[in-house]
Amino acid sequence: MLVKHKRGLFQRFYVVELLKGLTITMKNMLFGKTVTIQYPEERRNYSGRFRGMHYIKATNGVENCTACMLCPTVCPAECIHIEAGERPDKEKYPVKFEIDVLRCCFCGMCEEACPKDAIKLSTIYEMSTEHREVYEKDYLLEQRGNK
Amino acid sequence: MPKCIIDGREVEFKPGQNLVEVAASVGIEIPVFCYHPGLTVVAQCRMCAIEIEKMPKLQTACSTPAAEGMVVKTKSDRVKQNQKSVMEFLLINHPLDCPICDKSGECDLQDNSYKYGDSYMRTTEERRTYMDLDMGPVIQKSMNRCIHCTRCIRFGQEIAGIHEMVAVQRGNNTEITTIDGRPLETDYAGNYSDICPTGSLTLKDFRFKKRVWYLKKTPTVCEGCSRGCNMEIQQDANTVYRCVPRTNMEINKYWLCDEGRFNYQYIHDAARVLNPAVSGGTAGLQMTEWSQAVVAARSSLDGKKPMVLVGSDLTQEEVQALQQFLNKHLSGTPIFHFGTPGVTSTQKDGAADPILKRKSKTANLNGLEKLGIKGFESVPSGVNAAIIFRGGRAVVPELKGVGTKVGVGVFNKPDAEDFHAILPGTSFAEKDGTIFNFEGREQKFKRAILPQGQSKNLPEILMLWANSGAVGGAA
Repeated sequence: MLVKHKRGLFQRFYVVELLKGLTITMKNMLFGKTVTIQYPEERRNYSGRFRGMHYIKATNGVENCTACMLCPTVCPAECIHIEAGERPDKEKYPVKFEIDVLRCCFCGMCEEACPKDAIKLSTIYEMSTEHREVYEKDYLLEQRGNK
Repeated sequence: MPKCIIDGREVEFKPGQNLVEVAASVGIEIPVFCYHPGLTVVAQCRMCAIEIEKMPKLQTACSTPAAEGMVVKTKSDRVKQNQKSVMEFLLINHPLDCPICDKSGECDLQDNSYKYGDSYMRTTEERRTYMDLDMGPVIQKSMNRCIHCTRCIRFGQEIAGIHEMVAVQRGNNTEITTIDGRPLETDYAGNYSDICPTGSLTLKDFRFKKRVWYLKKTPTVCEGCSRGCNMEIQQDANTVYRCVPRTNMEINKYWLCDEGRFNYQYIHDAARVLNPAVSGGTAGLQMTEWSQAVVAARSSLDGKKPMVLVGSDLTQEEVQALQQFLNKHLSGTPIFHFGTPGVTSTQKDGAADPILKRKSKTANLNGLEKLGIKGFESVPSGVNAAIIFRGGRAVVPELKGVGTKVGVGVFNKPDAEDFHAILPGTSFAEKDGTIFNFEGREQKFKRAILPQGQSKNLPEILMLWANSGAVGGAA
């Protein structure tokens, strides 16, 4: 059964409760410990194992990737598209290497499956763009990140 | 039937069967490299060594015929140790090429290494390397991956009938090569890639196209000649990537000729007509809609006396549907089959070589004769139009005095420029059907891929034709 409390006019302004609440807010603001950071200037330290933006590792200017197709095979989001080809200095190389980042779930299985240490996930997490993004090979080959 | 005991199981066998086959018949796998059921036994890889009671040393299972009361152990510690050692020995010089190698995923060496080998390597020495010579248009050689099983040498000698692969040098330096480094001559070169247990001999046609574990496999029958070899279409995303032989001891055994193996290429040929087309006068063939093309095809026969030419590469079901259609809508039209120039009947068909190939380069010559269709010799008098039904193989004969040609089926643009209309049909990979090979053996095959482009199956095209209003020509 619904109980109806009878309140006076003053009580119905809730001034006391407002002041009580404000006191807690002010206490935290003035004396509490800050939990937020000034993001673009200040940054948190993430683990070296953080899985962020992909890149293809290169050795002496030649990409490590041999287009073995293990990463698209293992990828649960099916976001990696590779086309293999042949060139004089490398028996098999990826002509096309595209990652549809919007589909990627950053599970890191591609990195784990790679026998050539070619596809890697860096610690870069600032990847917002204004349009739908597919990373192409040239973009992925630029060495970024901390690995 | 005599019996022997393998791993504690009593197994029946036919006298003369070797232990690898006997064990396989009850599902016990003995790993092999040099042994191939279609080739002679050399017992040189030593991978199949097993323990036989009362014999002091391990015996190679491939060269030991099963005997009454024989007690065989295939999983004892001695056998396992031997398998481990053989694997290690073979991998001393095998490059870690699997990410590059086209064989990976269906490689005997890879599979056996995974199942029977060690997961680590003790050697640190540099690996043996070779220079590779070009082996012609079919096979890509990579000698570094070779394990000297000599299957290819034996295949050339025993099956292809040409001794072109040889082993030169000795021991560790053995190199498998062609005599004087000549390109391969045999028409069965694709089989070298199939029987190679490693990636040393791979198909140039399939090179880097697709990893094998993506391929979906559909059993089918080759339409390359009247032999009707059993093969498998391997496709992914509606694209055929290769064809490999399927074992059928009564027809093709384990082999397939190159003509049949690479026959699939016309399916994805850029010149194939995949849209309904009508003749645009001097402008050549013009793409159009199905409804318009059928009407154009029908009306081009108005007032003419047509004949029907049926390619002997069509299936039994298609030709039966066609006969019913003709009885109903074009009765009295003469009907002939065509296929290979010079082979107009099964009597003229014969073996083209001692292995598999037949003279008739179309698969269903026998079946069409069974349906009472005669071979095309020359244009009957009075006939001035032709409706040509064709699969992917039959060669359209020269038609003198025939002004109007309508094509139904698979056509290439350059060959079909003078046609009045083309209604694109399906190739053998895109339809179900039954064909009769030269012996009269009835074989069914299933569709592997969806019809390419706008092409349709023949019964569907006939339905469109029948429903497109009054039928022209002799009707």
